[in-house]
Amino acid sequence: MKAFWGIRHRSIIFRVIAVTVFFSVLLITIVGSVLYLQISSEILREKLNESVSETRSLVDYAQGEVDATIYLPSLKIDKVVDKILKSGDLTLAASPREVALIGTPRTTGTRSANDRFNGASGGVNIQSIPLTLRKQVVKSGDIKWIRSWISYRDGTRVPAIIIGSSIEIPQGLPYELYYIFLLKEQNIIISFIGRLLLLSGILLVLLIGAISWSVLRRALSPIRDAAEIAEQLTAGDLGRRMRVVGHDEMTRLAISFNEMAVSMQQQISRLENLSRLQQRFVSDVSHELRTPLTTIRMASEVISDNKEKMDPAVARSVELLQSQIARFEVLLTDLLEVSRFDARASILEVKETDIKNLVNSCIDQAHVTDNQEIVVNFPPESVMANVDPRRIERILRNLIANAIDHGEGKAIHITIKQGQTEVAVSVRDYGVGFTSRESLHLFDRFWRADPSRSRLRGGTGLGLSISLDDANLHQGLLKAWGSPGRGANFVLTVPKTPGISIEREPIPIDPPDELSTIPIDPEED
Amino acid sequence: MTLIMVVDDDQDLAEMLGIVLNGSGFEVDLVNSGDQVMPLFSAHEPELVLLDVMLPGMSGIEVCKEIRKVSMVPIVMLSAKGDSHDVVLGLEAGADDYMVKPFNPSELVARIKVRLRRSGGDSHTSLKIGDIVIDQVAHTIIRHGKTIQLTRLEFDLLVALAKEPGRVFSRDALLSEVWGYQQAADTRLVNVHVQRLRAKIEEDADNPTVIVTVRGVGYKAGTGYE
Repeated sequence: MKAFWGIRHRSIIFRVIAVTVFFSVLLITIVGSVLYLQISSEILREKLNESVSETRSLVDYAQGEVDATIYLPSLKIDKVVDKILKSGDLTLAASPREVALIGTPRTTGTRSANDRFNGASGGVNIQSIPLTLRKQVVKSGDIKWIRSWISYRDGTRVPAIIIGSSIEIPQGLPYELYYIFLLKEQNIIISFIGRLLLLSGILLVLLIGAISWSVLRRALSPIRDAAEIAEQLTAGDLGRRMRVVGHDEMTRLAISFNEMAVSMQQQISRLENLSRLQQRFVSDVSHELRTPLTTIRMASEVISDNKEKMDPAVARSVELLQSQIARFEVLLTDLLEVSRFDARASILEVKETDIKNLVNSCIDQAHVTDNQEIVVNFPPESVMANVDPRRIERILRNLIANAIDHGEGKAIHITIKQGQTEVAVSVRDYGVGFTSRESLHLFDRFWRADPSRSRLRGGTGLGLSISLDDANLHQGLLKAWGSPGRGANFVLTVPKTPGISIEREPIPIDPPDELSTIPIDPEED
Repeated sequence: MTLIMVVDDDQDLAEMLGIVLNGSGFEVDLVNSGDQVMPLFSAHEPELVLLDVMLPGMSGIEVCKEIRKVSMVPIVMLSAKGDSHDVVLGLEAGADDYMVKPFNPSELVARIKVRLRRSGGDSHTSLKIGDIVIDQVAHTIIRHGKTIQLTRLEFDLLVALAKEPGRVFSRDALLSEVWGYQQAADTRLVNVHVQRLRAKIEEDADNPTVIVTVRGVGYKAGTGYE
């Protein structure tokens, strides 16, 4: 049943056909019924008229015969009655007819029942003649008829037109003479016609259904084509086009569709070109800038090696030169990385990585100030994930460096937790934190909460932006929580296998030791 | 004095490299294009070549291959792109190591010195690995009576494996023992060199029996038999 309802919703053709067929059935039923009724009543009326006039003459004749017995004593009433009753047997099989003679019951007196001449032909049970008809016949004295059923003594019931008249049997006996016209023949015809109409009706409905279906299919085939070609376009086959045939509305659909496809293809092609150009630019710039930078760096090293021989101002200048070169290099790398993200030219180099090792390595490399300690909270079991270790390490280094810069010397807590399909690392500091206004810009490029802090250690302002891009590349999450004066909590969540979406976050963004505050989700831009 | 050939199309960088290397006690030949390399190489026979990947004319990769046809001299490639395919191509073409620009000049000097270091001759005069005989004094290997030429690095790698036949070396361990890297370095160096070695010494490089891969761990010396 469910499948049926499914089709109903999924197919225009089905719905249209269903409606068409429904109304056809309705209409054909009405028309058919009307036809049937008209034809059958006409047939019966014909028969009736025929029977009535036949009866009139028969009754006259019968009455005459009966009357004759008064004048011709040789004629016995019994024999006449018998002859009249037997006349039913002589009729043609085409219009079979029974005859019945019933004595009208006396209403008064105690004389014996008036049934001496009662009889019927063919074994008809005279009691089955409807009383309503008998009353009418007795009352009016004229010919009366009814269409009803008549029973035989053996129990069979047949439909018939019963026409009756009162007749006087000599010696003053009132009788009723009934001529029973069996409708067998008529009924055969009528039921034949009925069956014919039914069959025609069904055939007609089926034909209508079939024709509608065929026509509709043909008419809607452009729509089906459009759907199919749209799917192919979506799949990437941008060269597909609809066939343009004829000049009707479907043609317009096809033409417009094709124009859209062409426009889309051109647009995508243009964008691909731009992207390619961008990637080329990135790699060209990369090469072009790096070579002179190498020379500069080497030159400054050589000069720096001879620092002792210089006067303090020159020596100091060389130091500054070197630190700026280092800073420039970092900025260059970051910029190129960012540019690659933008051009979607970043490649994820996935390896099976021990996350605990990675985090520990980042902690070892971090420049922790005196008295600042890093507290770790790792699960005892191994934490492995298929990630790009270079990028994850970069994210962690950034988060740790930020925590050190803004931690105000207080302890930094690093936690690792893993779920079935994801791993999370959180870096929590208890330092400056950030306001909700600042939170809006946290992951912006070149934005620094407090420029003086991070420039000290050479930060470029791109750290969090690149970290977020790296996290997104893994289809992971990077979320931040902060509260002024209470510190900040950054949580990185990545799936253990690229492509699997994150079901739940092993580490919630709100730190467990804080009342709930509204977290910032940088993805909601 | 040890002669190093520096091949880079950027003249300023080449000159700067020259200054740095001179300051560390090396003699330097500066070459600006790929085409000029072979004649000078044959004439002066440098003990190490610093080779930039991006060269006009003959590319750095092709120069590397040309050098390898006639010599097993240590080659260190210089590249502006550390992640790209170029590095692997360079290593497969015969380079022993690579440095990404911009690099720390003192680190460059340190690596050069490591490459130039002669592997100390142990008194095991002949080592065997599989069906290969290693002559540590002559720095050659012989297989089925035929001598096979290896670069110094390839030789050192083979010796490291052969000296401890039962041991499985991780890639980091090899980087430390053979390349001299104390910290985590590019494991591609090991992978490509093993590949190159296998191409030279294995019966069937796809089913190696001399240098056997141990999945998830690293490499070890095989017996030479299936």
